[in-house]
Amino acid sequence: MDWRRFGFIAFIIAILFGTVVIVGMSQEPPILIIGSMMATTIAVATPLTLGALSGLFCERSGVVNIGIEGMMLAAAFFGWLASIYMSAIFKFPIAPSLIIGVIAAIVSGGLFALLHAVLSITYKVDQIIGGTVINILAVGVTGFLNRQLFFDKSSVFHGEVPHAAGILPIIHLPVKEGITALCGLFGSSDGCLVTANAIGKIFDQKPIAISAVLLVFISHHILFNTRWGLRTRAVGEYPKAADTVGINVIWMRYSNVVIGGCMAGLAGAYFTLESVPSFEPLMTNGRGFIALAALIFGNWTPIGAWAASLVFGASQALQINLQFFRESIPPEWGFFQNAYNVGQIPYILTMLILTGIIGKTTAPAADGQPYEK
Amino acid sequence: MEKKDLKEKFKALLVTVGDAVLVPLLAVFTAIIIGGIVIAIVGGDPFAAYKGLFQGAFGSVKALSETGVWATPYIFAGLAVSLAFKGGLFNIGAEGQLALGAVASAWVGYALPQMLGFDLPWFIHLPLAIGAGLLFGFIWGAIPGALKAYTGAHEVINTIMMNYIALNWVSYLLNGPMKDKNPLNVIARTPLIAESARIPPIFAGLRIHWGFVLAIVVAFIVWWVLWKTTFGFEIRTVGINPDAAKYAGINVKRIMTLTLGLSGMLAGLAGTVEVTALNYRHELGFSTGYGFDAIAIALLGKTHPAGVVLAAILFAAMRNGATRMQFLTQIPVDIISVIQALILLFVAADAIVRYIYRIRRSGGKVVLTRGWGG
Amino acid sequence: MKKIYTLFALVLVASMLLAACGAPAATPAPVATEAAAAATVAPADTAAPAEPTATTAAAAPATDDCKSPDLFCVGVVTDVGKIDDKSFNQSAWEGAKQAETDLGAKVQYIETTDAKDYDKNISTFGDANYDVIVTIGFALGEATAKAAATYPDIKFIGVDQFQDTTKPVPANLVGLVFPEDQAGFLVGALAAQMTKTKKIGGVFGTDAVPPVWRYGEGYKAGAAYIDPTVEVTAVYHNDVGFDKTFSDPEWGATTANGMIDKGVDVIFGGGGKTGNGAVIAAAQRNVYAIGVDSDQYFTLPEAQKMLLSSAMKLITPGVFDLIKMAKEGTFPSGNYVGQAGYAPYHDLDSVVPDAVKAKMQEIFKGLLDGSIKTGVSPAKP
Repeated sequence: MDWRRFGFIAFIIAILFGTVVIVGMSQEPPILIIGSMMATTIAVATPLTLGALSGLFCERSGVVNIGIEGMMLAAAFFGWLASIYMSAIFKFPIAPSLIIGVIAAIVSGGLFALLHAVLSITYKVDQIIGGTVINILAVGVTGFLNRQLFFDKSSVFHGEVPHAAGILPIIHLPVKEGITALCGLFGSSDGCLVTANAIGKIFDQKPIAISAVLLVFISHHILFNTRWGLRTRAVGEYPKAADTVGINVIWMRYSNVVIGGCMAGLAGAYFTLESVPSFEPLMTNGRGFIALAALIFGNWTPIGAWAASLVFGASQALQINLQFFRESIPPEWGFFQNAYNVGQIPYILTMLILTGIIGKTTAPAADGQPYEK
Repeated sequence: MEKKDLKEKFKALLVTVGDAVLVPLLAVFTAIIIGGIVIAIVGGDPFAAYKGLFQGAFGSVKALSETGVWATPYIFAGLAVSLAFKGGLFNIGAEGQLALGAVASAWVGYALPQMLGFDLPWFIHLPLAIGAGLLFGFIWGAIPGALKAYTGAHEVINTIMMNYIALNWVSYLLNGPMKDKNPLNVIARTPLIAESARIPPIFAGLRIHWGFVLAIVVAFIVWWVLWKTTFGFEIRTVGINPDAAKYAGINVKRIMTLTLGLSGMLAGLAGTVEVTALNYRHELGFSTGYGFDAIAIALLGKTHPAGVVLAAILFAAMRNGATRMQFLTQIPVDIISVIQALILLFVAADAIVRYIYRIRRSGGKVVLTRGWGG
Repeated sequence: MKKIYTLFALVLVASMLLAACGAPAATPAPVATEAAAAATVAPADTAAPAEPTATTAAAAPATDDCKSPDLFCVGVVTDVGKIDDKSFNQSAWEGAKQAETDLGAKVQYIETTDAKDYDKNISTFGDANYDVIVTIGFALGEATAKAAATYPDIKFIGVDQFQDTTKPVPANLVGLVFPEDQAGFLVGALAAQMTKTKKIGGVFGTDAVPPVWRYGEGYKAGAAYIDPTVEVTAVYHNDVGFDKTFSDPEWGATTANGMIDKGVDVIFGGGGKTGNGAVIAAAQRNVYAIGVDSDQYFTLPEAQKMLLSSAMKLITPGVFDLIKMAKEGTFPSGNYVGQAGYAPYHDLDSVVPDAVKAKMQEIFKGLLDGSIKTGVSPAKP
């Protein structure tokens, strides 16, 4: 991660937050605005972060993955299906149903990735086309099954959507209590308590959101500090050389693509098991493509991709938060009142990044090339 | 020319055509069989379903007309993606280019006479409306093309980003400045375009319009440009090997920009024709999801204009026939997406089809795109 | 290579097993979603009187036997959306299904995948000589009016299609519309009485759709009627395509959470799945939630414990009543105003003070007899 890019990303996030703070200052203390916006940002960035990590493992090993969207959508559906199957048919309690759902989501993400691997590694199908196949297939399969299972009276659910098992709960870390206690040492001023409240909100996150952040650092460690990571990168940069020193290129690519698929699967679980307990056709809404952009934005590094995901998350948080304060936006700032205008900022930024004006993005050298002995 | 020579040539042609036609046909066939199995598994009657599908697509004059209506934008969009492929570029942005083309044409169609204060004759107004769509499609394609050529930014990401930007713009325009101000209108759509900016239907009472004929003509022009002109040769050379093209004295950067620009223009034309010949306005909810369908059509047609036309008609027949299939059997239309994905899967991984039907490979493999680095 | 095929075979077999075991297993049917009648339903009395028109079915070649006068056929065409959307389209479809059981009608639906197909889908039913065609959503308004002229013997019911009665409306066409602003007004008044922080919120689909806008504006007006100092935050999901704005529960949940972080303690989720996401998120955070369209106590079990009420528009009975009128020859023309109201308090019945309940009854009566006006125009100016 070069510092120029990191600085640029930090600068953008600061601008996005600053805008809301300035607009909303008259109604709420800035620290509270920042706290709640940060909490939204981290939650919204979760599927983007995981999606970007999914792409990271694939592409670091030399396989382009534009099928993240399809993998996420399929995982969202099958994870949700597994969880309601457990709770409605086998009468499992909520917690095990949800855990089985998350596992099913990860597995189905992995299976769709396996299909991508078979196509692109074994059959040497153009990898971008392989990803397109995954995307179209996921839309068709989830839409068709969703209809058959939850509308057709002869299905196992009698055409009704059964009661969902629920969603993953917030894991409350005692950060707020900790800071409040610290405040006590300094006389419990109002400002300190408000700060405690605001920071506490940032840490009230759900399990998948938390694991996404952990996975960023785990991925960083694996990729840059382990033998596996070294081999993965070797296979993605110089597969011929890697082969000559005895690394099994095909195996490394297969396993990394499947690992990537599992990450996309976890991202899918976010939609139906952590955010809301229901499935919608096309509910991933293009977030897989944004994740791909985040990966490139972050120059194929885990921490960079995370930072980029936060930019996208922050811009969505900005859209939501600006609407809260819509009344207090002065008319001459009409540009910001319009969600459409704000909505395209991250896309334009991504294109700017790609032009190389703030440092060149370099893909793994063998990314997208099938390996032939 | 020697007779023997001709015979040899004919034989070679037969092998190429057989390869180009047989494998896609078998891919379609296999996908339809699997689709039928899926329908049977969920308790439907695949024969009734396919009968309905066929009736809905080809069973009557009206059905044929509707299939043509569906095929028109598919042909343009499929040509757009194919042209980019020929130049070694992947255009995922057809959806955005199409939407912008549609909005631009709609604007010229309804607003220009109001602005000028007098009605235009059709032979001025209609070309202007079509030209606006072409222009915006071109710009929307040329930007990622130029970025690719001059900075190396990969066109796949940029066309996806441009898609989102275009859809944001279109939503904004249709909800705001370009919204139909009729007090009874409440949805995001433009006013109707003037009569003088409309492409007429071919037969009274049917919706099939001259845009379909235009699509066939444009397909022929694309073929002619690609294979009969120097410019087309340059596009294909850059597509096969940009480095070699550079040494051969071709201005690779210019060609790349133009290729994606023209690709975007064709996609824009798809939107333009939808507005000027069919809907007479643009509305959110018109023509969604064409970007990915276009990729599938281009691949199924082996990126050849004639193949694209046939593939587009096949996809159109499935989309159009699906209504009657659902009407007769109540099988969800999503099955069409499953079948289409399977077709694409088998066309892309033709090794599977070749293995099932024991067809040997003839000739080399065509490289369509390269990774982010290339 | 061999391995790959084995793998393919395995995947195929596995998927078949999955599909196969889907069919036979017998399980108890899930909760029946009975329409909550309660005392909260407005009578429909604004329907314009209409002359019954002759319903002689023209003989035309069709594969179906709907041309026979003995068989009463009802066709439903959705907007660009699914018949199983658990809201709008499905409610109308259930009205048609009720006609199947109660009136012995043959019912069939077609889902629209692209807006350009509206004409074609309607005429698929028209050419098959259906007796009644129900089209769902404002977007089908023009296509429906056109079809009503083409098929004068077929009755058309346009759900949410307000007819301009200043011009002649075909006798075989009726728009089924709802006073969403009244429903929004009622729950707005309820929210304003139940809030402790004096901050209430609403999470909606796009305000480009008038019913959604009416819900939102009615909600604000209702809150202001109780207490003008209550701060109402209404957020519309305008920044995405038309096809996404009502099916983005994740956005709805995120927005609701953002509001709760700002101290909002009652949230009204209006607009398909997007609103549902907000309702569930509110219930998760132990904040009062208000549902929309139907009594969501029955459709969102996750939110039951915190679901205060729902702003209701009863599409299913509205569609059924009109179909019945068509069969009985008393089909109205012009606009038919359906029922709107608010749902019972269910689990929170003991929490809502009696004074509030009385006040709600009073407002409801006032809205019905016209002594209270919401002041909301039919569409966003």
